[in-house]
Amino acid sequence: MHKDKDAALVNDCKRGDRRAMTRLVSQYQRPVFNAAYRILGNTDDAADATQTVFLKVFEHLADYDQKFKFFSWVYRIAVNEALNQVKKRRSQESLDDGQASSWQGPAEALDSKRLCKRVQDALMLLNEDYRTVVVLKHISGCSYQQISEILQLPEKTVKSRLYSARQLLKKTLQDDESDQQGQ
Amino acid sequence: MNEQNDTGRAPVDQHALALINGSIDGELSSTEQDELDRLLVTSPNVRKLNEELTTVTRLLDELPEVEAPHYLQESIERQVRLPLQSDAGLEKTGRLGGWLSTNWLRTGFALAAGVVLTVSVYEMGSEPITARDSANLSGTIAKRAITGQQGVLLDSIQLDTSALSGLVELRNEGELFTLDVQLTSDGPSELVVNFAGHGLEFDGVTRLQEPVDSVSVVAGAIHLASHGEQRYTVSLRRISEAQQDAPLQLEFFANGELVQQAELNVSKF
Repeated sequence: MHKDKDAALVNDCKRGDRRAMTRLVSQYQRPVFNAAYRILGNTDDAADATQTVFLKVFEHLADYDQKFKFFSWVYRIAVNEALNQVKKRRSQESLDDGQASSWQGPAEALDSKRLCKRVQDALMLLNEDYRTVVVLKHISGCSYQQISEILQLPEKTVKSRLYSARQLLKKTLQDDESDQQGQ
Repeated sequence: MNEQNDTGRAPVDQHALALINGSIDGELSSTEQDELDRLLVTSPNVRKLNEELTTVTRLLDELPEVEAPHYLQESIERQVRLPLQSDAGLEKTGRLGGWLSTNWLRTGFALAAGVVLTVSVYEMGSEPITARDSANLSGTIAKRAITGQQGVLLDSIQLDTSALSGLVELRNEGELFTLDVQLTSDGPSELVVNFAGHGLEFDGVTRLQEPVDSVSVVAGAIHLASHGEQRYTVSLRRISEAQQDAPLQLEFFANGELVQQAELNVSKF
């Protein structure tokens, strides 16, 4: 997220310098993939989305307005692409009801992998608006202001969505735990 | 958001909720933090909700980074199209003749597989090679210039699209594989030869007709941009027996659009 460095690399890319392109891809591939993965919930879709994101980024490099941070622009494309894939997937198939797998016991007793899966499952139960702000905040490590810039929403809306999303996640995880204990 | 009612507890008001979340995100002023601290002491409900939301955010923050598939970066780089490098850097690149005659060029190409590399790397400082440079390079890159069709014909692909047409033949002689390319396009075209993982190294390009606008080797793929009537030979050399039977994958682009993909069998039998 180094604005000046990114701006220089972007300018080099516009002149056809593939090394600059490689550096930008190296820098942003992992965070974009991780954000896409947490929004989409599976590796293949996240990889497809990431690939498409970078193709769009470099295809539309001439349209990039340098008054915005490059990473904000990339994340905006990434979020839009991930959400497009969510919509596409929803129209192609009904969501897998088995996504919210049974809670395997209290959080303390779960091994880390299972716990991660539970949290990811809970994330997938959020609507896309809420999931996106949670991912940008907790996976991508963006501030309210950065999320506001990426999603082009007022900060107040970002906060409101984030707070609501956390409450819903809390409830989902608690309900899962209650269900498990009741079995 | 009154789901706390489900637990039998009285709901925490929106102001307290905003303070809790703001505290979690480290966004509270000292006055606000003091206010929350007082609420945490006086209100069991606020204290409970604070603990729960702190746990939720900790769980989110502790989600591990997921490893991207190993092929992703290479796949992205292979597909990204950038504008052809302008002639702007020509003056800074200096004379081509001197370094063309050295072994640096071939040594550089030999490093192509697996390493992100463009022809601009070679002993030229940081400036990218230009379209004009590439045109000058063509015909002199390959030490073993193939000026005619040599070797056993292994496979071929005939293109007949509205934007790009012609023939590509793959031949073999000893350790050397050559792609004889004869293409015609109205606008700019590009041939991408993916040779990563085939046990081959890039050995050079020989121009027979019309300049090749640019040549670059990136992550095991040769990108050859040209236009009009094109005739050139791409040479690849066998350096290991790894996946020697895997077909070479070719992608043909015209006016920036992928018009055809093809595979050429490296093995005759």
